[in-house]
Amino acid sequence: MNAPLYQYGAFSQDMSFVVAILSGVFFGFFLERGGLGNPHKLTGVFYLTDFAVPKAMFTAVLVATTGLYLLSDLRLLDIGRLLFIPTYFWPQAAGGALFGIGYVLSGYCPGTSVAGAATGRIDALVTIAGIGAGSYLFGVYYPRIEKFYVSSPMGSATLPRLLHVNHWVVIVSIWVLALIMFALMEDKVSREPAGLTTGT
Amino acid sequence: MEKNNYWSPYIAGAGIGLVLLSAFYFMGMGVGASSAFARAAADVVQRIDPARAEKISYFSGYLKSGAPLKDWIVFEIAGLFIGAFIASISSRSFGFRFDRGKNMNAVVRFFTALLGGGLVGFSSRLARGCTSGIGLTGSAQLAVGGWVFLIAMFLCGFFVAFILRKELWQ
Repeated sequence: MNAPLYQYGAFSQDMSFVVAILSGVFFGFFLERGGLGNPHKLTGVFYLTDFAVPKAMFTAVLVATTGLYLLSDLRLLDIGRLLFIPTYFWPQAAGGALFGIGYVLSGYCPGTSVAGAATGRIDALVTIAGIGAGSYLFGVYYPRIEKFYVSSPMGSATLPRLLHVNHWVVIVSIWVLALIMFALMEDKVSREPAGLTTGT
Repeated sequence: MEKNNYWSPYIAGAGIGLVLLSAFYFMGMGVGASSAFARAAADVVQRIDPARAEKISYFSGYLKSGAPLKDWIVFEIAGLFIGAFIASISSRSFGFRFDRGKNMNAVVRFFTALLGGGLVGFSSRLARGCTSGIGLTGSAQLAVGGWVFLIAMFLCGFFVAFILRKELWQ
């Protein structure tokens, strides 16, 4: 077992930047081709008219989570060396809620604003400036927010550990829920008259 | 108005999933986006007013190396721009425009883009990441925070979209 390769020193930091650019190129390519540089499609989910975001997002999560835990169980990847996203329950719940408002208003999230700008959208450039300004304001007000920012820490808590079940129980449950959700979305879209959801 | 020739979101999503999985395999971490913006903000403030940048304790982690933009995520976002540009040129969907909902005028659109972006930037730092860094990466790791973020984002998004359903995108 020698993966994650970079964590085991398989290549240099300079090489990791090459990996970063290549990862980004494919990420951006798939985002744009999935329609996720387009704010009409990005916000459609909130009006239940276009489900490109949840379809692409949950397909991506299913592929990555199944692959990750499969590689780990086959001892092809040392999941102990993976950098897990730390959980801070309330800051992440509040952050997610505020993020939802900003996403509906602007029509973009950070990655998709860059994809939108790359397709010629000037409004995405304005959003990019806004995201930079919001990040700066967080830095400025950080001393006042810090107490909340570090509250309700749960370390690298995962759903299987929290629920005391095997990870495959969680992964199969996500598959089932996602497939039900996809079926409902396909059903909803097929009932709508054509042409309502097409943005520019 | 050009016709959309986008791929099935399932195919695009599977591609994004493979990118995320290979980032786990090669790097031991997922993909992200928002901290590239925070690093860029720190870099700009440092260039304009180094004394002010030094006073912002939150930025010290970005600035201590002396080169806040020399980071994995900044290279990834540069690649993201290139990849999306290649995709839009090759599919003939590229075109300069000021994209907005049909009931928004240009002034409203300017301010929704700017204020919405501001909220996105601020909240990404509060949550320690965005749809990519926390939503996709965290959820695929089965990290609790990833799912908390996504659920809160969708619930609040539905609420705001419902209240402002005429004014914004539909």
